[in-house]
Amino acid sequence: MKTAVECKHLTKSYGALIAVNDVSFSVEEKEILGLVGPNGAGKTTLIEMIEGLRTPDSGLIKALGLDPTKQGDELKEKIGVLLQTTSIQPDIKVKEALRLFASFYQHAPSNTEELLHTLSLEDKADSRFKKLSGGLKQRVAIALALVNDPEILFLDEMTTGLDPQARRNMWDLVETIRKQGKTIFLTTHYMEEAEKLCDRVGIIDYGKIIALDTPRNLVANLGAESKVVFNVEDKEIDAEKFEAIKAVSRVEKGEDGFILYTRDENVTLQELVRLADKQKFRLSNLRTESPSLDDVFLTLTGREMRE
Amino acid sequence: MKLRGLWQLAWSEFKLNLRNPAMVFWSIAFPALWMSLFGAIASEPIPGFEYEGLNLANFLLPGGIGLVIVASAFIGTPINLTTYREAGVLKRLRVTPLRTSTLAFGFTLSQFIFMVLGILVLFIIGKIFFNVQVLGSWAALIGMIVFGMITFLALGSAIGSVVGSWRTAAVVTQIFFIPMLFLSDLFMPISMFPDWLQPICKALPLTPLNIFLRDIVYGVPLEGLWQLGIMAGWLVLGSIVTLRFFRWE
Repeated sequence: MKTAVECKHLTKSYGALIAVNDVSFSVEEKEILGLVGPNGAGKTTLIEMIEGLRTPDSGLIKALGLDPTKQGDELKEKIGVLLQTTSIQPDIKVKEALRLFASFYQHAPSNTEELLHTLSLEDKADSRFKKLSGGLKQRVAIALALVNDPEILFLDEMTTGLDPQARRNMWDLVETIRKQGKTIFLTTHYMEEAEKLCDRVGIIDYGKIIALDTPRNLVANLGAESKVVFNVEDKEIDAEKFEAIKAVSRVEKGEDGFILYTRDENVTLQELVRLADKQKFRLSNLRTESPSLDDVFLTLTGREMRE
Repeated sequence: MKLRGLWQLAWSEFKLNLRNPAMVFWSIAFPALWMSLFGAIASEPIPGFEYEGLNLANFLLPGGIGLVIVASAFIGTPINLTTYREAGVLKRLRVTPLRTSTLAFGFTLSQFIFMVLGILVLFIIGKIFFNVQVLGSWAALIGMIVFGMITFLALGSAIGSVVGSWRTAAVVTQIFFIPMLFLSDLFMPISMFPDWLQPICKALPLTPLNIFLRDIVYGVPLEGLWQLGIMAGWLVLGSIVTLRFFRWE
């Protein structure tokens, strides 16, 4: 696999604040790499340095073999960008915006109609940008990022501020673009989004990438246990009773009921049901919780990731 | 080609200005209405008038041209610039291969086209309804108009570069725009103002533009050409401030 973007020891400070602190990583061709982290973690600074909008204090960037600070003009021909706060001229019509942006590129093959069709924007072609909903504005922004048929697509916080339905639509759109074989580098503060879309996920906090792997490996490396959570009705049961269940390492009794920490949720569930049957108590609100990227973040940083 | 996107940008910005009611009112409708309403009061040549053969509309035409230029440069440029910066439009354009020089040139060109439209409307209405005429040289008139456009665009972009938000831009613009209309020999002669105010009036960029446009339209020999230096000074100041303070975000 070829490397699309390579960053080595990137650092960028704003006064006393170190926004990006000695970061090294690479994005492989045709993969979707996502950076996840809370607001202010340095995601946008990092992505904008690769786009050539900001100059790093130190370190090296190669995007498609080009240095964004010195060969920015050449690089801009080959990338597509969705900025975090997206706007274009408020009174411009969607169709006009696509034509205008296409005129800036040496090579802009996609014709407007085709792009409108791919993004299901045909019936909005004559609408003014400012009249569109948040979800549609982001759609237009993606269309604009695609006018030059870019090799790499940068998506900075593409679903922030969108309602759940619009967010799902954006995910479908990214899947469609992925099928066209483009490299995508995105940032998000939604773990769910990273887990769903990305081939690899980097977790960024206080300007450092603290983990970078496939979502599956990140969770697996955690060695975290699943939880079996439930209430017991009609009967007082001692927590000790559950400690004997197979694969259970620990039992907690909280306001929500019991939590069994287990290395194997299947075995534990079966045993639990059998025990309930034998001891004649009823289980309610029974559910299992598998470790997710949220737990990875919590474990690595010691904090919950808040939106 | 280095100017790729220039015409598309200029044309698109011109169309966007046409969709802006404030722009259309102040730089197209208002000057034309002003000339027409007063022109309709006396459409015959004014007897005993020092510029013989001119009617009131013809008398007001040069002031109308000045109004078009000032309104479009002072309202359009700063408000567009600050709005685009605040909304992130400038930043978005910056991640395309569009060059900074092309961007600046394109925005300027769009305002040029808009001003030309405003001036054409004045001439067309003036010709059809009031039979206005230019007694002096057309070349001098066009030269003066272009010089005025460049000067005021430089000042407009200077305001747009220094001021942070479009709300402030709107206020700052009005602070300059409205007093200037009254102090620049447009609605009333400078000689009516008290002595201490007159040097200020003469130092304003609209005053020489107004005086020379009028002299050319009335066919009066041009005197005191040094006053073009006042405009040039404002042009240089506006350009320096723009280059020094322009921000993308």
